[in-house]
Amino acid sequence: MAVDELLAQFHEIAASPKKQLEKYLAQGKKVVACAPVYTPEEIIHSMGLVPMGVWGADQKVGEAKKYYPAFICSIMQTVLELGITGKYQGVSAIVIPSLCDSLKCLGQNWKYAVPDIPFIPMTYPQNRKPSYGIAFTKAGYERVISDLSAATGAKFSEVALADSNRIYNEHNAVMREFAEIAADHAVSAAQRSDVFKSAWFMRKEEHTAMVKQLNAELAQTPKDKGKIRVVVSGILADSPSLLEIFDKNEIRIAADDVAFESRQYRTDVPEDPNSLDALARKYANMDNCSVLYDRDKKRVDSILELAKRHDARGVIVLMTKFCDPEEFDYVPIKRACEAAGLLNLNIEVDRQMVNYEQANTMIQTFREMF
Amino acid sequence: MSEEVKKQRPAPDPNSAKFKLGQIAAKAYSDCVEAKARGEKVGWCASNFPVEIPETLGLHVCYPENQAAAIAARGGGERLCSESEGEGYSNDICAYARISLAYMKLKDAPEQNMPQPDFVLCCNNICNCMIKWYENIAKELDIPMIMIDIPFNPDYEVSEAQTAYIRAQFWDAIHQLEQITGKKWSEERFQEVKKISGRSSRAWLEATACAKHNPSPFNGFDLLNHMAVMVTARAKKEAADAMETLLKEYKENHEKGVSTFRAEEKYRIMFEGIACWPWLRVTSSGLKDRGINMVTTIYADAFGFIYDDFDGMCRAYSRVPNAMCLELARDKRVKLCKDDHVEGLLVHTNRSCKLWSGFMPEMSRQIGKACGIPVASFDGDQADPRNFSAAQYDTRVQGLMEIMEENKGGN
Ligand code: SF4
Ligand code: SF4
Repeated sequence: MAVDELLAQFHEIAASPKKQLEKYLAQGKKVVACAPVYTPEEIIHSMGLVPMGVWGADQKVGEAKKYYPAFICSIMQTVLELGITGKYQGVSAIVIPSLCDSLKCLGQNWKYAVPDIPFIPMTYPQNRKPSYGIAFTKAGYERVISDLSAATGAKFSEVALADSNRIYNEHNAVMREFAEIAADHAVSAAQRSDVFKSAWFMRKEEHTAMVKQLNAELAQTPKDKGKIRVVVSGILADSPSLLEIFDKNEIRIAADDVAFESRQYRTDVPEDPNSLDALARKYANMDNCSVLYDRDKKRVDSILELAKRHDARGVIVLMTKFCDPEEFDYVPIKRACEAAGLLNLNIEVDRQMVNYEQANTMIQTFREMF
Repeated sequence: MSEEVKKQRPAPDPNSAKFKLGQIAAKAYSDCVEAKARGEKVGWCASNFPVEIPETLGLHVCYPENQAAAIAARGGGERLCSESEGEGYSNDICAYARISLAYMKLKDAPEQNMPQPDFVLCCNNICNCMIKWYENIAKELDIPMIMIDIPFNPDYEVSEAQTAYIRAQFWDAIHQLEQITGKKWSEERFQEVKKISGRSSRAWLEATACAKHNPSPFNGFDLLNHMAVMVTARAKKEAADAMETLLKEYKENHEKGVSTFRAEEKYRIMFEGIACWPWLRVTSSGLKDRGINMVTTIYADAFGFIYDDFDGMCRAYSRVPNAMCLELARDKRVKLCKDDHVEGLLVHTNRSCKLWSGFMPEMSRQIGKACGIPVASFDGDQADPRNFSAAQYDTRVQGLMEIMEENKGGN
């Protein structure tokens, strides 16, 4: 299939999660919603259930206002809104981790706002690296397993998890490869986003197959030069209007540190005779994210390193309004960029944004500096 | 903290609980300054970090949240918040953190100074915002960060897995601190600390429970001031003495039929949330002028740290406000409302505190229903004066009062 056709397929899936949900339900599968930022999808997958990401939608908030005050991020607001308004109907359960304060509240609100979709908490440790942290992660996973069984009747087996761990590792690898190829080939910011976004709405083996094909096709196209290369950082980068501004201004996302995108695919499940231990160790090995305890702010170094490795001229932070973990990290990121001579922009975004004038001006000004 | 209204008042009685509590708060700062001057390492400590650890080790620590509250109460909140914003911190970030990060840079605030830290003690049982705030301090000042992670507990009980995780971290923290400061953990001293903390806690619980009397022998705004000592100094002998004095005074007040609420108590409410420190006077007189006594807050329950052993201590720190699931948090409040014959609930929707405010609408609805009382909320902030409107506060309190009046069968 030609590159364009493939990209059109990714777009179709990224733009219509509802259709994907209906497709899986029609196949007799059970679907489990996965809230940001990390959930043990491998476990859900291994139990024969379909994990689907729920990161909200670009829309207004009405019903959720009865639960959340206005100063909670629009991702949480719209996830709750979609739940209350029945958009997740058919979903068997939702797994919500407590990685930030607003997520802690999502779980508590969910029980009363969307009582027909069971809430399954996933409590991750912040001291995730010592053995006691790994043991606690494992206990959290065991809890998720038993809640999933109760909600869906599905059974867990370590053998099946070992398979799913492999499937997820393979998916990680193709996504990392895609990010590298997209950095040098003719893939627009919007198309790049479609590839990442569609991953949340598909079984990973299906997505892997499609991305593999895309990577192979793209690798044969000539390199696309002459654009301003940047690293994009933030929680989300999927707003079509915003991505259009990137594309119009010939700005290329050479690499990303976006929670919805590459942060998901950096860490593989390590080899371990016990598949559940292995998955707990994966979480222990994860780093460079605003919701994972990071005394040394290694995330900041990792962003600089990413920029260097990808020959980026600047770092564009897409700041989800009211996301305090990211807001705290912004200051050290900004300082580090300045010290390294990298331009940086902080563009505030939220899912209710309709006017992108300010973002447009900022990006244009940024563009003119080169 | 002693955010006293600056009026000409007779010199306080040095034997009064209020005086003693004020002294303890002030001494915590001066002890820290002296320790630093002696060359000891001092720390900055999160309010709900297990105080037993620094206390047993004999470490001097000060509390950025207390400092930020003191700065805000004395009018410096906006200045320091703006300073942080100038550094690039969003004004959506908790104002305590903004004030503290500004103080780290300026190293001086006439409203309330404290020594710069040699290490930070972080515990996220009240919020994950704490982690980010302390990460930034530790990184910038290049000092050790002791991080005790007490996860938000989605369940009513504290699981064995959670207890084991916390226990391991407590020991890890103790060992790290021994290395950093050269001080040693002593089991004997811990037993003593535990005993004193228990004494303070029992006195506090009993004192705050005096609100069950009609009229209440105290003005609930007292609790907002005294709770700082409960949180940070409850393991000190002077704190236990002061809390016992407080209890004695409240009992005496009741016997004499007097109260620190200096108005006729017409209505009794529960106040939900952190005080609006920059607007303490306005928020307090908005109630008092209407004869509304805030008889209780969750602090009344929250700082009763009574436990038998090390594991009990681990569990106690999982049950602080903001670490509890909605149901447990609700039930504790419902009990307070019922025990103290509360007639209305006033909720501070605190822009600084996502976790405290993020499921409060639902929880307060449930409390209102369970207790058959009206609920009103107002927008504010515990330390950034820009996020509060006196007019809105007034309207909401008035509305609450009118319903309480109706419920009394007035009109
Ligand atoms: S965007 Fe930020 S605040 Fe919102 S859920 Fe994600 S990490 Fe939490
Ligand atoms: S006010 Fe809330 S967010 Fe700020 S430090 Fe306290 S608990 Fe955390």
